[in-house]
Amino acid sequence: MSLHLNLYHEVIKAKALKRRDPLKLTMYALSAVVAGFAGYYVLQAVKLHSLNSELATVKAEFDKLDPASKAAKAREVELSVKLKAGNLLVKKVENRFYWAPLLEQIMQVVPREVQVTRFVGDVSGEGPRRCALSIDGLSAGEDARHVAETLRTAIAEKISPQHKNVTSKFRMLEDGIEMAMLDGKQVPTATFAINVEFTSGEEPAPEPTRRKR
Amino acid sequence: MKLGKEEIQKLVLGGLMVIGVIYCYFTLLLGPLSRRQAATRKGIEDLGPMIAAAKAQIARTANVERAAPANMEATRQVTSMIPDGSPVAWFPPRVGDFFKQHGLEKSTTRLAGEIVEKEMVGFRRMSWSIDLPKVAFVPFATAVASLENEEPLLEISGLQIESGRDDLGSQRALLTVSNYVKQ
Repeated sequence: MSLHLNLYHEVIKAKALKRRDPLKLTMYALSAVVAGFAGYYVLQAVKLHSLNSELATVKAEFDKLDPASKAAKAREVELSVKLKAGNLLVKKVENRFYWAPLLEQIMQVVPREVQVTRFVGDVSGEGPRRCALSIDGLSAGEDARHVAETLRTAIAEKISPQHKNVTSKFRMLEDGIEMAMLDGKQVPTATFAINVEFTSGEEPAPEPTRRKR
Repeated sequence: MKLGKEEIQKLVLGGLMVIGVIYCYFTLLLGPLSRRQAATRKGIEDLGPMIAAAKAQIARTANVERAAPANMEATRQVTSMIPDGSPVAWFPPRVGDFFKQHGLEKSTTRLAGEIVEKEMVGFRRMSWSIDLPKVAFVPFATAVASLENEEPLLEISGLQIESGRDDLGSQRALLTVSNYVKQ
C-alpha cells in the first residue's frame, strides 16, 4: 500500500470553508427570497394596475350617469308634485258634497202642514265631510207638536241611507201663538228648530307604505 | 459540524439581513400596494350600487314620464275649465249669467277670501259669497243642482234660505262657495 501524502490539505480546507461560508449561503438564500418577493410584487402591481383601470372605467360611467340621475330625480319630483296636485284636484272634484239631492230629500219629507221658514246648511272637513243643518219652521195641525216631531224623525230616516252618523234633534219646539188655516179649519201651530248633523263621504284610504327590506 | 465564532457572527448577520429584507418588503413595498389595492377595490365596490341606483332612477323617471300624459289627462281637462285672468274679473259675471239662465235675475257675488292649500301646487282656492235676494225654492234648488253639475271646480260649503217676512212665496238665499282657480 503506497503512502499518499496530501500536501494541499490547507488549501482544500480553506476552499471547503469558503464553499460553506454561512454569509454566502445566506446571500444566496436571500437572493432567492428577494427574487420571489420581487416576482410577487410585480404580480400585485399588475393586479393593481388592472384594478385602477377598472376603477377609472367605473368612475367614468358614474360621472356620466350621475348628472343624468340628478336631473332625472329633479324631473321625477317635479312630475310627482304636478301629478299629486292634479290627482288631489280630481279627487276633490269627485268628493264634493252635493246639496241638490239633500234639498230634494228634505223637500220630499216636508208635509203640507209644515212651512220651513229658514234653512241653513254648512259642510266642513276633508275626506268624510261633517254637515250641519238647521231647519226652522212652523207646523200646523190638531197636534202641531206631533207634526214637527214627525218631520224631525222623517228627516233622519230619509237622510240615513245615504249618510252616516245622522242625528236630528230639536233645538226648540214651542206652541205657536197664531192659528193657521188648514183645509178650511183654524188649527193651532207650533214653531220649531231642528238641528241635523251627519257625516258624508268615505274615510280616505291610507297611503300604501313601502315595506323595508 | 462545529461552527466557529466567525461563522456564528456571519449567520447572525445573515439572519438579521433576512429579517430586515422581509420587514422592508412587507412594510415599504407590499403593505402600501395591498392597501392601495384594497382602496381601489372598495372604490369599485362602492361605485357599483351608486351606478345601479343612478340607472334605476333614470329608468324610474322614464317610466313616470311615459305614464305622465295619461295620468295628467284628467288634470288637463280640469285645468282647461278655468279661464285665464283674475278670478274677480270672470267669476262673478259667470255666476250672475248662470243664475240669469235659471230665471234668477238678481244675484251678487263677492270675494270672501282665499283658502290656502299647500299641497295644491299650481292652484288657488277662492271663497265667494253669492247673495240671491229673491228666489223661489224649487227654481233655486234646480239652479243649485245645475250649478253643482256644470261647475265641477266649485263646491257649495254653506247654504242659507230664509223666507221673507212679507212675501212668504219668495225666499232669500245666500250661498258660500269655493272654487279652484289657476295660481
